[in-house]
Amino acid sequence: MADAAIHGTDHDQRGFFTRWFMSTNHKDIGILYLFTGAFVGFISVLFTVYMRLELMNPGVQYMCEEGMRLTAAAASECTPNGHLWNVLITGHGILMMFFVVIPALFGGFGNYFMPLQIGAPDMAFPRMNNLSYWMFVAGTGLAIASVFSPGGEGGMGSGVGWVLYPPLSTRESGYSMDLAIFAVHLSGASSILGAINMITTFLNMRTPGMTMHKVPLFAWSIFVTAWLILLALPVLAGAITMLLTDRNFGTTFFDPEGGGDPILYQHILWFFGHPEVYIIVLPAFGIISQVIATFSKKPIFGYLPMVYAMVAIGVLGFVVWAHHMYTVGMSLTLQSYFMLATMVIAVPTGIKIFSWIATMWGGSIELKTPMLWAFGFLFLFTVGGVTGIVLSQAGVDRVYHDTYYVVAHFHYVMSLGAVFGIFAGIYFWFGKMSGREYPEWAGKLHFYTMFIGANLTFFPQHFLGRQGMPRRYIDYPEAFAYWNKISSYGAFLSFASFVFFIGVMAYSLRYGRKITVNNYWNEYADTLEWTLPCPPPEHTFEQLPKRADWDKSHAH
Amino acid sequence: MPYEINDLQSSAAPDHPGADLPLANAGHSLHLWPYQSLPRTGFVWFIGITAALISLPLITLLGSPILWGLLPFLLLAIAGLWWALQRNYRDGDIIEHLTIRPDSMTLVRKGPHGKHAEWDANPYWVTPVLHPTGGPVPNYVTLRGGSREVELGAFLSEAERIALYGEVGEILRQIR
Repeated sequence: MADAAIHGTDHDQRGFFTRWFMSTNHKDIGILYLFTGAFVGFISVLFTVYMRLELMNPGVQYMCEEGMRLTAAAASECTPNGHLWNVLITGHGILMMFFVVIPALFGGFGNYFMPLQIGAPDMAFPRMNNLSYWMFVAGTGLAIASVFSPGGEGGMGSGVGWVLYPPLSTRESGYSMDLAIFAVHLSGASSILGAINMITTFLNMRTPGMTMHKVPLFAWSIFVTAWLILLALPVLAGAITMLLTDRNFGTTFFDPEGGGDPILYQHILWFFGHPEVYIIVLPAFGIISQVIATFSKKPIFGYLPMVYAMVAIGVLGFVVWAHHMYTVGMSLTLQSYFMLATMVIAVPTGIKIFSWIATMWGGSIELKTPMLWAFGFLFLFTVGGVTGIVLSQAGVDRVYHDTYYVVAHFHYVMSLGAVFGIFAGIYFWFGKMSGREYPEWAGKLHFYTMFIGANLTFFPQHFLGRQGMPRRYIDYPEAFAYWNKISSYGAFLSFASFVFFIGVMAYSLRYGRKITVNNYWNEYADTLEWTLPCPPPEHTFEQLPKRADWDKSHAH
Repeated sequence: MPYEINDLQSSAAPDHPGADLPLANAGHSLHLWPYQSLPRTGFVWFIGITAALISLPLITLLGSPILWGLLPFLLLAIAGLWWALQRNYRDGDIIEHLTIRPDSMTLVRKGPHGKHAEWDANPYWVTPVLHPTGGPVPNYVTLRGGSREVELGAFLSEAERIALYGEVGEILRQIR
């Protein structure tokens, strides 16, 4: 037993290195995740800008065998370098799926705010949390190294697509592919450790009285996400390990010559891949719920249906995987099942969308920056959801498979849905995390440019898909030129808004007005993080929070 | 409420009719432990559902060697989750046991991870002290009067500590 300890205050005496490199504090690790995610996101966005530059006009102007170019001036002969293009789409996919969105939403916001919202002093395993973060950084390093190491077609990097389908991935020469596989391994291990940590924290460290049916929606969304990660990522780890042995040790798990089955790889990959979609977007659901309730000045409509809709989306996400591969030659019965199961997901998703609308209904809506992003999310996610229903039809999918219609669909739900969720979270909690205000006009300008830019980029891609333009090609016939040009303009506008955002953040972190109140929105921002100062002290909730601080009579 | 008070006499009830009644007010026994929000049944359900869902892809792979490539990873994930939850239970496995008899008073604290500490004193000299501020937690409860001053129930919630302070004081008053 502890002898009585009566002493004074504790000051933060950690140096810069100790604080940021050896951190076991969930808030510091959350911030590290957000910054690293933003950095990798910037690299990944640079890839896309270069790709949109190339796609702006028919013919190949930039990605030449003679060398990469930054201007379209026909200085000399240009032989198209298809491998470079393939490397860029692969890099963009892998980075965005594993190293940007999950770290930002799950690692960043999840680490920072989930323990705060349930009144826990830290994560259950703080040192394992540190390990997760550094494994993610190491994985990022490997992924970027993979782009610059000897790969297929005698060039640098591997260009097999982020899904790493065999036989492409098993026959790609060079060690770039192996580095990419190791990168995904590390990122997967990092996410699984993070998920185990989050699950343990959420299940066993809630403050007394906070039953599962009283946990705030953001914390719930992080829990469901962690659970999906735990269920899905080991499957991916197994699949890519077998790819690795197929490549290096002569096994034939996925090689028909030795009795293997490449289609089985697709099944396993999508058993992971479809839940991955929800892993990416569920935390955004949580953020949007908090933002909409706060700025409608009403408690969230239908708390319990919202919770169980998230759980249902998670569970259903595991039984629909083959809708990504209708064209591989499945039986009609199997296709009918996957088609119906896929359409069923529209039900819980609809519950969420309508509950958000019902929360706003009759509320006193305040169009602050986070709320604008939440509106953007609602619109974009709904558009992406509707095209998803179209694509879920096995017959229709025969036509749309591997066209730009699919590209438009998944960018609307994942990239725009999740990214708008990230930005809503950043503007919602920026003051809480940094203790400073951002200029409201700048946040709004960022939103409007990004919203217009994103729609300009991806909406025309529906038309391209309907015209029959296939994805993953460096060039296209003259007939697709019109909408490609417009799509590229949209990409440049979005990129400009992203650069502007980085400027806004840099300015606000250094010169933003200091925040002196705990809750700078209103009393409907009623989760526990709003009872703390901005930024919160190093140690929070080392003593259990008072019930009145989180159990609000008007909520739920 | 993560603490309970029992009268020692009730636990020593006569085991057959006609036996002598134990002395009234033989003493009191207090158990205190930190709150953990996951009940054991919850642990079982959660592991069960997770194990069922994670074995879903194996159905597709029955009869294929790929099953053996996948299985170790799935087992590792379940084992990791199991270990983490059990470890978290053990990290919070602390129990403070305070026994107050008219002539002696002992406090035993067990855990976490096999730690053990004891304290005893004569209740006549013991005073519970409530430190509204200055302690590691607000309304910190300590017992003063033995060889050293010890804390009691620092892991309880604030309202529980205030209630505990009143109840321990009441027991000590009665027993003198």
